Amino acid sequence: MTPGSGLSRTAKLAAGISALAIALAASTTLAQDAVPFAPLPDAKEINADRAKLGEMLFFDDRLSGDTSHSCASCHDPAKGWGTGEPMSHGYTGSLYFRNAPGLFNVANRKYLMWDGRLDGSDLGTLVRDMITEAHTMNMDSRLAQERLKQVPEYAALTEAAYGGDPYGGKIYGAIAEYLKTIRTTNAPFDAYLRGEEAALSDSAKRGMDLFAGKAGCVSCHNGPMLSDFATKATGVPDHPSLTGAAPDPGATHAGHSGTGNADDPDATALRQITMLRHFATMGTPNYMNLREDVGNYVVTKDKADWGAFVTPSLWDVGQTAPYMHSGVFATLSEVVAFYNAGNDKLAPLGLTAGEQADIVAFLESLTGDAPSVTPPELPDYALRGVGKN
Amino acid sequence: MIQFKKTILGASALVVAFATAVWAEGEIPALATLPTPKSPADNPLTPEKVALGEKLYWDGRLSGNGSMPCSSCHLPDVGWGTGAPISFGYPGTQHWRNSQTILNSAYYNKFFWEGSATSLESQAPDAAGGGVAGNGDDAMMEMRLRFVPDYVRDFKQVFGTEWPNIAQAWMAIAAYERTIVTDATKVPFDRYLAGDAAAMSDEAKRGMDLFNGKAGCISCHNGALVSDQKFYNIGVPTAPEFADDPLYQITQRWELYQKGVSEEVYRESGKDLGLYFRTKRPEDKYKFRTPSLRELRWTEPFMHNGVLATLPDVVAFYNAGGGEGQTAGLQPLGLSDAEQAELVAFLEALSMDEPLLLDEPELPETATWSEFDK
Repeated sequence: MTPGSGLSRTAKLAAGISALAIALAASTTLAQDAVPFAPLPDAKEINADRAKLGEMLFFDDRLSGDTSHSCASCHDPAKGWGTGEPMSHGYTGSLYFRNAPGLFNVANRKYLMWDGRLDGSDLGTLVRDMITEAHTMNMDSRLAQERLKQVPEYAALTEAAYGGDPYGGKIYGAIAEYLKTIRTTNAPFDAYLRGEEAALSDSAKRGMDLFAGKAGCVSCHNGPMLSDFATKATGVPDHPSLTGAAPDPGATHAGHSGTGNADDPDATALRQITMLRHFATMGTPNYMNLREDVGNYVVTKDKADWGAFVTPSLWDVGQTAPYMHSGVFATLSEVVAFYNAGNDKLAPLGLTAGEQADIVAFLESLTGDAPSVTPPELPDYALRGVGKN
Repeated sequence: MIQFKKTILGASALVVAFATAVWAEGEIPALATLPTPKSPADNPLTPEKVALGEKLYWDGRLSGNGSMPCSSCHLPDVGWGTGAPISFGYPGTQHWRNSQTILNSAYYNKFFWEGSATSLESQAPDAAGGGVAGNGDDAMMEMRLRFVPDYVRDFKQVFGTEWPNIAQAWMAIAAYERTIVTDATKVPFDRYLAGDAAAMSDEAKRGMDLFNGKAGCISCHNGALVSDQKFYNIGVPTAPEFADDPLYQITQRWELYQKGVSEEVYRESGKDLGLYFRTKRPEDKYKFRTPSLRELRWTEPFMHNGVLATLPDVVAFYNAGGGEGQTAGLQPLGLSDAEQAELVAFLEALSMDEPLLLDEPELPETATWSEFDK
């Protein structure tokens, strides 16, 4: 492949490898009009005033019921905007049953949440869901509003960003605006696609060809977001700490020790409680007797979607370990080995150790700079005049 | 009020001799010994249900973060309340009213200071789910119970269902609360009514006459519960915390907002509007439900916001004719210091000789599904 302008190279790549992908992908084929590779999509238009307010709110634990968790508690920029744990910890006294996904390029996703239950075009609803849901921040949104009104700086920032007082819609919208700023930056593969031939090592380039060819990764991980945003069951196992097959250390965040005492129950049980409660609230048939993460089935109630999860974007994948909805794989090598081995849903790939290492090198080239984020200093509550609400 | 006074003065001389009979004929029910509490037909009391309710009352699983069971704001050791002027509320928040005692809640027909719940069965979820109280999510609390094999067994035995249902938890707690009542054999006044003339001191007896007569307390605090269960604005001052502490101000506005007042009322209110929150009638502003005067020895401090610390403070408040802006028809009572002390002695005689104390039960453990699948 001859280097040219970024766009024309993308087009050539698309033309050159799509035939391979169709021929070799085990179970799914690349749609006719899909582009295998494309540079990172542009950032969405950002309202700076709203994003500034949203940044502060993202780090403010006063948006959780007991003021113990902010968005950043489970989406920590220092941990790839996740928790770094296999499964997230969720709200105080609970433990969550899935991995906290990183937030890189979240504004460019078509579906949100591992089970795809939220529409990617509506980040405000994602924020509302996380703030108000019992298993994440367990916040009464009306109380959130009154907390923010008690902070003069927030009142002023809200006035500047929206006009008027803080209330639910503005709170969610401001954080959603901040989420749009969380982007992959300086990923070598993006530079390569934009014409910088030397941005990829030889190993990564071989990995790219395997990704698009023999390994068939591109059949799902394609396009500018390296995801088709479809839901698929690939046979990824649940984490053994969820099923009880392995001990669960709980979480290091305060309020989640999971030591197994009467008033501090076994961490595995807490995750199971959270999962079955989620299934119950989604109206899932026979939820009390489910013993595995059924994924998108809770959305569609269609057996075909049993155990299906949204294809994650792979940008910045080097920063978001561990991997999969269950966080069951600690490293990219483990992920590649999983696909190479195949299972009842995926054909084995027959990759050599060297080829697997090349794919890992390619995946690492999808990874940009570590986020350079300093949590903002947060303003305190202040007294208001009595009867001046 | 004038009419009341006539009734009271006319009858006060008779009250000792003909206590129940005379007042049963008149407008005002006389003080009397409490009967055994009634249970609603759809939630009969059984020992098994009470035993389950006791555990649940103490169980933090019935709150948002696992740390705020009913007992956290209704502790036996402090009169089944918190002992503080205003309840402390959910972590990160500040409650805005005095935590009412559970003692004798079995007899009320409405709950909360503004009477917003009409049964113990509906009071419990309001408290467990309220943003500044338990902040629990029904589905989460229910699933926590289902992962406790002992509870699965007990709920099945008591309610006959395969899995615990959250509404059943409130029923069991209500049943338990109906057992947290005054033991009349331990109450001087009730022993006196039963014929033991020496059960009350002479001072308390004079206080009883004042209660039924000159002081007019009986006009609202009447019947076996020593409450007419109606709503009055007696002008209780605003607690100072609402001017001094941002957390109180947050909760005050939250309550205004979530209780659905108009924009104008939300913007301007610096006080707890009481019954108005339910009715939205201007004349109901600042009205609160008459509390029972039983067990006051164990349930300091007093009033909806705990602003009066002791019984002498309460009596002095009424002696002065209530507070600013009251609409309950209160007049200065003209009680001497000695009379006020007598009234306090009588109020104390409405309490048990010792507080009703109960120890925290041992709570059953959470298990994984592998345990309860067995």
